[in-house]
Amino acid sequence: MSWNRPLIIGLLVVLLAMTWWRLHPAEEEIRRSQLLMGTVVEIVAGGQAIESLESAVDAAFAEIARLDKLLSRYHQTSEVTRLAESARGSKVSVETMEVIALGLDVAQRSGGAFDLTLGKLKALWGFDQETPTVPDHAALSIALNGIGPRALSLQGQQVNKRAPQLQVDLGGIAKGYAVDRAIAVLKEHGVVSAAVNAGGDMYLLGQRPGRAWRIGIQHPRQTETVLETVQVHDQAVVTSGDYERFFEQDGVRYHHIFDPKTGLPARGCQSVTIIADSVALADALATAVFVLGPEAGLQLLTEYPQAEGLIVAADGTLHSSPGWARYRVAP
Amino acid sequence: MKTPWQIMTAGDWLVVLLLLGISFTGLLWVATTAEGTRVVVTSGGQTSFTAPLNQPRTVDLDGPLGQTHLVIDNQGARITGSPCPRKICISMGTAKQTGDLLACVPNRILVRIDSPVGEEAAYDLLSR
Amino acid sequence: MTCSAVESAELTRARRQVFLALFIAIAVTLHVLETLLPTPVPWLRLGLANIMTLVALYLYDGRAAWTISLARVGIGALLLGRLFSPGFWLAAAGAIVATSAMIVMHRVAGRRLSPIGISAIGAAGHALGQILAARLLVIQHPAIWQIMPLFLFFTLFSGILTGWLASGLLEQLQQHPAFQKNEADNNTSADDYVERACR
Repeated sequence: MSWNRPLIIGLLVVLLAMTWWRLHPAEEEIRRSQLLMGTVVEIVAGGQAIESLESAVDAAFAEIARLDKLLSRYHQTSEVTRLAESARGSKVSVETMEVIALGLDVAQRSGGAFDLTLGKLKALWGFDQETPTVPDHAALSIALNGIGPRALSLQGQQVNKRAPQLQVDLGGIAKGYAVDRAIAVLKEHGVVSAAVNAGGDMYLLGQRPGRAWRIGIQHPRQTETVLETVQVHDQAVVTSGDYERFFEQDGVRYHHIFDPKTGLPARGCQSVTIIADSVALADALATAVFVLGPEAGLQLLTEYPQAEGLIVAADGTLHSSPGWARYRVAP
Repeated sequence: MKTPWQIMTAGDWLVVLLLLGISFTGLLWVATTAEGTRVVVTSGGQTSFTAPLNQPRTVDLDGPLGQTHLVIDNQGARITGSPCPRKICISMGTAKQTGDLLACVPNRILVRIDSPVGEEAAYDLLSR
Repeated sequence: MTCSAVESAELTRARRQVFLALFIAIAVTLHVLETLLPTPVPWLRLGLANIMTLVALYLYDGRAAWTISLARVGIGALLLGRLFSPGFWLAAAGAIVATSAMIVMHRVAGRRLSPIGISAIGAAGHALGQILAARLLVIQHPAIWQIMPLFLFFTLFSGILTGWLASGLLEQLQQHPAFQKNEADNNTSADDYVERACR
């Protein structure tokens, strides 16, 4: 037929146009991940041109890497290591000071359930090694010697240790702090909609196009199931669970959230999720509440009116703080 | 190639008109009686809160004047308290059908009932 | 081309198999390419692949139509990476309802309905099947029925479009000897075509 060729050419043009359209979607959003702080850190950012988003996200990752070097127990030149090696304490940078100040506040209010001086204890258990084992009673006592909310004191940027063998470990709060700083960097670059997720500790900035961020909370025992879904914007969500890092010995599960009183894994909860204004606070509170157990944990949360929590107790029952329901959208 | 009307038989027209009729009737029925499934709150143009309509809850919505109290229960959604001077929003009653609106203009709160269906993912990120 | 003394029935069967395979390939291609088109709702598609189902129905029979439509759903899902996903079951349900409806109406109405009418019914069947499956499997909420009327409306138009295109295609194909049935009332049968080529 005479109109065969033009028709075919026309169809090819339409096909090309559609492919082109598909390659340049209108909604700009980028997802980037990097291995930092011993976990996968994912940043989702959207709402503006890709080039500016890319540079903002790069800056955010750089900030997290910088803080990792500063606060991590594993870096030989970190301020935490320096503190551990010093006898009486040392001067620290403003960031470290802020982290320690916040950590000490939670440590005191939680009666020591959250503790910044568990460096020796964590090294003893060796969760970051290939084969962790249960330490014996004597080793545990040594590791717990001198710890507690009063073991550290802060005077301006000077950190003082009450005992020379104390090793500061900011692991339960540093990741959160890094995420908070990353968000600040993104905001400085003009990003208004983003999510920074460091292995489950996350902050949701602004909203997704059209609706708030929806965060699923992992069921502590059924890995494919979501316990609840919450909707947040401009808030932090942190979950601490006994399923994240653990090993089994003689049929007993040992996880990485320790009760500072015994040096053994806390047994009161299966998981705790905290929604708060900052990830550092949510991080510290999640650990504290986990160690305290459901009743004392909820009691602690009343001292932080802007924070809400969901607790899965050791027996699987759910407990939530009074204001939690406003975030829940499912079930 | 022949145009569609050249090909279509009387039977075809019957089928098409019948299906059109069914879809239009359905559309009208849906538009007038459908209960909504979701509450969407926007303040200042941005969506600030959404919740399913079938779960009772009370929520405080923040606005420039203060907090507007929204109650969702089995009757629907309604405003029970607001810092605005004339409380018109409270007198708007209960919103339940798709498309119903409640608004507190001074506090810039807009509550809408809709029935979203489709590709909404269960969650954006997982906290673990 | 080797010409052996092959039974006419076997030849017909072989010819049918080859063409059905070809139709399946075309249907799958249409199905996959369709996903490039922009749509208001992600799973709302034009359903151009149904052209081939219709063509198979008219050129052969109901069984051929089933072959095309089920193979298209399965292979299309394989290619798009959606095999056994919820979307796959929706499409499968839609295809089953649509194909059954089209075969039944074709049998019942015969000449009174053109491919356009049959296609419109097929489109409605597709919509019904998908919504039913969605209600049962994906969205356990009665609100799903609320989109049915709108869905039906859109699929009606795509059904007419598909039927029209199928009509045009059928017009061309039915003239070709390869698709002539071996009934006595055709002067040029496909077998004669082969025989002539063998001489």
